[in-house]
Amino acid sequence: MDLQALWLTVRLATATTLVLMASGIPLAWWLASTRARWRPLVEAVTTLPLLLPPTVLGFYLLVLLGPRTGPGRVASRLLGHPPAFSFSGLVIGSVLYSLPFAVQPLAAGFRSVDIALIEQAQLLGAGRFRTLTAILLPLSTHSVVAAAVLCFTHTVGEFGVVLMIGGDIPGATRTLSIAIYDQVQDFSYAAANRTSLLLLCFSALALVLLYMRRGRTGTPHA
Amino acid sequence: MCDRRLLFNALVIFAVLPTGFAQHTEPSSQPEAGKELRIAAAADLQPLLPPLLHQFEQQTGIHAEASYQASATLATQIIDGAPFDLFLAADLSFPQRVIDAGRAEQAAPLPYARGTLVLWTRNDSGVADLSLEALQNAGVKSIAIANPDHAPYGRAAQAALQHAGLLNALRPKLVIAENIAQAAQYADSGNAQAGFISLTSALTPRLSTDGHFVQVPDEDYPPILQGAIVVRGSPGAGAAHRFLEFLQRRAIQQTLAAEGLKPIH
Repeated sequence: MDLQALWLTVRLATATTLVLMASGIPLAWWLASTRARWRPLVEAVTTLPLLLPPTVLGFYLLVLLGPRTGPGRVASRLLGHPPAFSFSGLVIGSVLYSLPFAVQPLAAGFRSVDIALIEQAQLLGAGRFRTLTAILLPLSTHSVVAAAVLCFTHTVGEFGVVLMIGGDIPGATRTLSIAIYDQVQDFSYAAANRTSLLLLCFSALALVLLYMRRGRTGTPHA
Repeated sequence: MCDRRLLFNALVIFAVLPTGFAQHTEPSSQPEAGKELRIAAAADLQPLLPPLLHQFEQQTGIHAEASYQASATLATQIIDGAPFDLFLAADLSFPQRVIDAGRAEQAAPLPYARGTLVLWTRNDSGVADLSLEALQNAGVKSIAIANPDHAPYGRAAQAALQHAGLLNALRPKLVIAENIAQAAQYADSGNAQAGFISLTSALTPRLSTDGHFVQVPDEDYPPILQGAIVVRGSPGAGAAHRFLEFLQRRAIQQTLAAEGLKPIH
């Protein structure tokens, strides 16, 4: 078992989930509550990574975040190094790749909250932030948990983007899925099997826990 | 409520689907025997094989298609039953693995060319006087190299760095590409300031416009002898033998030499 790759994968998935929850909750709330005419456009863009092949994302990230473009030079200056072949580059890629897995369940959860409750809260003088923390989030905990679990597991299972922009560097960009790929290439089927089995059990467990939670509360939202 | 459950299930299914579909890249249709040739080709052949396949088709009427990957990837796929007729590897060890697995017609890989390793950089990368030693400069942050475990050119690059006594010093700068074509792409996109690539890539119009290269001295790394095998029992085995004969013709070997693959003899 490649413990370095395991630890790296956990760190990457945690960082990605934190960034996505911090940015996804406001974005999802905006999507759920806005009447702006360009809402469908924003929603389409946030859902796009669900349909795009990871190679498309990886290709554009490699080119757009490379040192030969404006965005790439800005990213380079902000991070202090070029984003490709680095942990922070992988976080950027994973955040884009898993964005729909945060925003979709969150927006669906927020939309299912009774509008009367929100209106009452606002009549009582609650601002948008207070409405979010006192009404929306407590009433959509299942969606929040689902979004976090999906972001985390989806990042753990990410392969194409990492293969395109990672550079397979131990401790920085060699995640578990890349380690498995390397092991299969090296004909180390026993090692590949051990790592794969771990990922399989982890993903299955995450989904079972998610569905158990839903069963206990009795409704799909809670 | 129902909507949300559906959406959630759809999300989970979507999460699983794209990777599942994306992996199925190998050709699935069974071609007519003798008229089709499916080649598993090392990534260094990508720049020069397509015109040769066209020429071969004009002469023989056999339509040939090639898939380009690192030699180890292709060897694994063939051993696992991928529908290829011919394996053109970038070394002798990976075809030997296919032989050991009982999936080859030959008892030994047939050498068909010799590869050359070069060090390449973009003209605007700021690396002056390109050489192995110049890679130690602070301006060189990342050096692209094909995975030494999967790609013969990567192994050669590692050997050359070892030979120069620079491997340990440069290791933190090495970024590992899946195959030699990806190493070229890392360097050409500017994400890596230099890259160890094949002479076949360096001589392509795109890379010779974007940058320049120096050859790594032949004596610094074990020769990259490229070997071929015909996959045992494949429907296009006859066509594969004809292509190997075609590949060894003097005129074709001269074409290969002009494009970066030296003749064996």
